[in-house]
Amino acid sequence: MPGNIRSVSIVWVVLVCILFCSRLTSVGAASICTNSQAGCHVITLANLFDRVIQHSAKIQSFTNYLHSEFEQYFLPGKNQIGRVSRNCHTSTILTPNGKENAQSMAREELTEVILKLLLAWRDPLWQFHQSMAHHHDFNNFSSNKALEMSDMVHELRKGVEKVSEKMQKLGIISNSIRRLASPETSVQNDSEQHLMKDYDLLYCFRRDSNKVQNYLMILKCRIVPEYGC
Amino acid sequence: MRKSLGMTLLWFVLVFAPRAEGTRYSPPGKPTLTRCRSPEKETFTCWWEPGSDGGLPTTYALYYCKENSDAVHECPDYQTAGENSCFFNKNDTSIWVNYNITVVATNALGSSFSDPVDIDVVYIVEPNPPERLTVTVMEDTSWPFLRVSWEPPHKADTRSGWITLIYEIRVKLEQETEWEMHLAGQQKMFNIFSLRSGGKYLVQVRCKPDQGFWSEWSPASQIKVPEYFHQEKSVWLLVTVFSAFIFLILTWLLHLNSRSLKHFILPPVPGPKIKGFDNQLLKNCKSGEVFSTLVVSDFPPTASSNYEDLLVEYLEVYVPTEQEQLESKKLHNGCLKCEGSTSDSDSGRGSCDSRTLLLDKCGEAKEDERQKDQRSAGTDAERQQQGWEGEAMAYAHEDMVSPDISGGRVKTWPSVFSPLPQFSLHPQEQQSSLEMAKQHYLSDSLFPPGSTTSYFTQPVHSIKEVLGPSYWEFSSGSKQSDLLHPHMPSCRQLQAHSDVNISRIGRKEVPPPAGLQSTEYADIQRVTQGETVLVQPKMPQGEDYSKVKGVDRDNMLLLQREGMESDEQQETNGSKEDSCTSPTVTTTKKIHSATRIRGEMLLAANGYVDTATICSQPIQ
Repeated sequence: MPGNIRSVSIVWVVLVCILFCSRLTSVGAASICTNSQAGCHVITLANLFDRVIQHSAKIQSFTNYLHSEFEQYFLPGKNQIGRVSRNCHTSTILTPNGKENAQSMAREELTEVILKLLLAWRDPLWQFHQSMAHHHDFNNFSSNKALEMSDMVHELRKGVEKVSEKMQKLGIISNSIRRLASPETSVQNDSEQHLMKDYDLLYCFRRDSNKVQNYLMILKCRIVPEYGC
Repeated sequence: MRKSLGMTLLWFVLVFAPRAEGTRYSPPGKPTLTRCRSPEKETFTCWWEPGSDGGLPTTYALYYCKENSDAVHECPDYQTAGENSCFFNKNDTSIWVNYNITVVATNALGSSFSDPVDIDVVYIVEPNPPERLTVTVMEDTSWPFLRVSWEPPHKADTRSGWITLIYEIRVKLEQETEWEMHLAGQQKMFNIFSLRSGGKYLVQVRCKPDQGFWSEWSPASQIKVPEYFHQEKSVWLLVTVFSAFIFLILTWLLHLNSRSLKHFILPPVPGPKIKGFDNQLLKNCKSGEVFSTLVVSDFPPTASSNYEDLLVEYLEVYVPTEQEQLESKKLHNGCLKCEGSTSDSDSGRGSCDSRTLLLDKCGEAKEDERQKDQRSAGTDAERQQQGWEGEAMAYAHEDMVSPDISGGRVKTWPSVFSPLPQFSLHPQEQQSSLEMAKQHYLSDSLFPPGSTTSYFTQPVHSIKEVLGPSYWEFSSGSKQSDLLHPHMPSCRQLQAHSDVNISRIGRKEVPPPAGLQSTEYADIQRVTQGETVLVQPKMPQGEDYSKVKGVDRDNMLLLQREGMESDEQQETNGSKEDSCTSPTVTTTKKIHSATRIRGEMLLAANGYVDTATICSQPIQ
């Protein structure tokens, strides 16, 4: 019996050591591997692109859901005549409106457009979430979704920034991308009904998220076209 | 005046003339925009449905204005897409821009506007079906599968990432009606498994952009799966044969063991089988008359009865003495039945392997016994003794009915017939009781459990203490306590215990008939042919029984020595009268020889007297 206990304890100690050492090595690898040295496990650009595109797709599905919810429960039968006068606050940002335009745009420009768009939506989404939380017209699920969307957009922007840094590092694009600190556009203070404002906001954001997704895909297929293009 | 009259007339004509002709002109009805579609997110087309034309040639015009612009444009192309359509080419198409489209129908009488429609091209994309659908059967593994591959519609530009399409496949057998749907995601290849061998399949594919509508199904592609059932069926054949084989084996085993299984599942219920014993009578009578009920009129069975059916498993040893007070045990040797009379299936009989003696001996012995008893003092005890005898006989008969003989061991013991408890408690009556008492060793099978336990709890011990020095010592082995145990479940126990040994052999006393003052217990070494019981003094080793091999012509009980011949015969006088005494004489001799034998014999732990053969005459 003591022999058994001893062997078991030895095995246990060995296991613990293995786990600990593997952790150490991994941590060590991370600390060592800062400059794309050989042997390090580096995330490829294609991988980065896949991640941001997945993230953007998720945002898009969220917006679709919220938009349909809004349309179904709060504005039934509303004809779309009044929509003509709608004006998204991001309309000042010049975005390519066609395939040729988008393909003829430089990569740096395209990346910049994406970042601009994402930055422009940081504040409005936060305000949107606040308004939805205060007005208990929505169920909690939608309110939570609105909050999530704000966070996700923020994450996506960070991700795209990472991608652009990587691209610059790899020399794919030049370093002419301006760092954006504050959004160029400001949210219009509409005096309309809050519901109308919210619905328009959702409509605009839905479109802009689609733009971002499309631009990212174009970038990906132009820069790292090995898969999915 | 004339002018105004003419105008009125003209107006009347204009108004009424059509009525007179049966037609009526009106402004056109309101057209409706039915749908707008874009196949590749670069161009789009809108179709409308005209309203009533009002009987006049009507023209339709489509006007649109873009978002954030007040400029109204007219449709650039009315022909490309067919009638009542408007085609927007690449130059006129802007994505992510809201179009407000209106159709106007105009005829001579007026025009009507349709309801405006807001569209964003990105949300109305409906691609063409995928192209170049190919289906092949892959037979690399044993189970073939279908590999389906296709190309995106050539108009949709997925290569540059402008459009992202997801695909869906559906499959069905040719003769079926239900399709099996598979979502393939963004890949352009798909595998279909679980095919029916030799089946004909139809495959179709369609696509959809991430925001938009599903395309139409592509033209069906047909494929025939080759037959591959041989492997599948051979496995099943093997499995079937194997299981059938196992089933046959199981059936055979079951058939072989059917009887034991039947006994296991439905064990036969033992029933009380005491011949001559009337349960109902016992139930009905009063407590005091219990014993009288045990006396059955037709007991012991007469000679006419079928001795074959009687089994006496106990040996009643009765050594007759001139004095009434002397009684010896008697070996009742006539009542054992040989093997082969197992007709009763009562499982309660444990005493299975006794060999039986002649039944007529049993009967006659009983007769003699009765006579003897009557000679003795006619006390109540005696009468009761008779009753006990009858009971014993009952037991004996019962045993005889169903012997379960095994191996030649004798189950028939001198039935330990307890002097009744009332006897034992009164030492002053010991003499009488003892002389009356007969020792009957009943085999366990004779004992209905618990019925006669009370009888036997006392007797031996009491007799023990009662026995004087002149008495034959009997020693009941330790096993006897088991006999006295109220629960006598098994054969074996009882057998072992009913040993009564006569230890005082060396006395040279009168053989039991003469000198015994009380019931004598003796080991029965053998029963001679003269129906004499050869008793043997008990040995301290506790081996009380000897195996009776048989009874020879002279009514001698042949005891068997293990590993030796057992033909110790003794002379006995043939007279019944002296049968009591003669055994004693011979007994003495026998005892010595038996002793000798005994020393050589290897008795079983319990020691049995195996009355192997039936004696011709009952032993008194």
